[in-house]
Amino acid sequence: MKITTITSFSEKDLEKALAKIKRSIWVYHLNTGSCNGCDIEILDVLTPWFDVERFGIRLVASPRHTDLVLLTGPITVKTLSKVIKALRAVPRPRLVMAIGSCAVGGNIWFESYSTIGGFYKILDKLNDIGIVVDRVIYVPGCPARPEAIIYGTAVLLGLLKPKTHYKRVEA
Amino acid sequence: MVKFLKILPISAKIGTVTVMYPYDRPLVTESFRGAIEVDPGKCVGCGACTRICPPKALSFIQEGETLILRYFVGRCIFCGMCADTCPEKAIKITKEFELASSSLYELYSDVQHSLSTCRRCGKKFVTRKLMNKVKNLVKELPEELLELCPNCRRIESLLRTTNLR
Repeated sequence: MKITTITSFSEKDLEKALAKIKRSIWVYHLNTGSCNGCDIEILDVLTPWFDVERFGIRLVASPRHTDLVLLTGPITVKTLSKVIKALRAVPRPRLVMAIGSCAVGGNIWFESYSTIGGFYKILDKLNDIGIVVDRVIYVPGCPARPEAIIYGTAVLLGLLKPKTHYKRVEA
Repeated sequence: MVKFLKILPISAKIGTVTVMYPYDRPLVTESFRGAIEVDPGKCVGCGACTRICPPKALSFIQEGETLILRYFVGRCIFCGMCADTCPEKAIKITKEFELASSSLYELYSDVQHSLSTCRRCGKKFVTRKLMNKVKNLVKELPEELLELCPNCRRIESLLRTTNLR
């Protein structure tokens, strides 16, 4: 059997793939210097109590098999090269979910010398070196609740509308 | 081979444990702390919360005439120290945790304060609301010194003492 690999694809193909991804997605857990709190919450999501396999969400061991990367931790300088390697291995459409306040905004390490301080800071750099992240979802929480992670997945797939909006009020 | 059948009466007894979360109400206890909410009516812009906040999720940004108390929920660790330290009790801890958003911009929320200007040097130094609060609290306050920034106030009082001699 001859296996054909798609090396070049148009924007139309990508949109098609993004529309199809509404069904079951496979996730890959990427810890980038997290304290283990968010990792335990991800584990919680997979247990029978929250059982995300009822939505067809499965944890896979390799980034090559994944649709969505569950990124936890503030991305320490030591793990940055590994993060880039893992994200490069993810096939398009490439989805990333930044879980916990470390991955979203850097938490108390947002201006530390040894961390990048959140996923949003490397997003443009990843774009420059050819790793295009098609969709990003930020899930705040310290640690993010299992319900919040399920909710974030639903927002990412377009099943629910996000609740939070920028607001500016006069005092 | 028949060994696994032992699990059948156990599972029949326990039943389904899975919570139907997106269609069901989430388990939120009494002591749960979610995102904070700043009451713009009560907030005076003193900055006590920005100094106590461990990850600096609450911060002050000066934009010309206005001082903005910016709350970035993406960096918040939900410790509730800001609500404890707020002298006006303007910060309330809500039970909101469904904060996921696809854009980082949506995670910010701002409270806008107007600043009062120093009569002498034109420097903006304190919010109008805080100044009014101090005016009401302290009875014997020299009116002419109130609208001066701390540096000009020092100069003014020094000039006065030298003039008296």
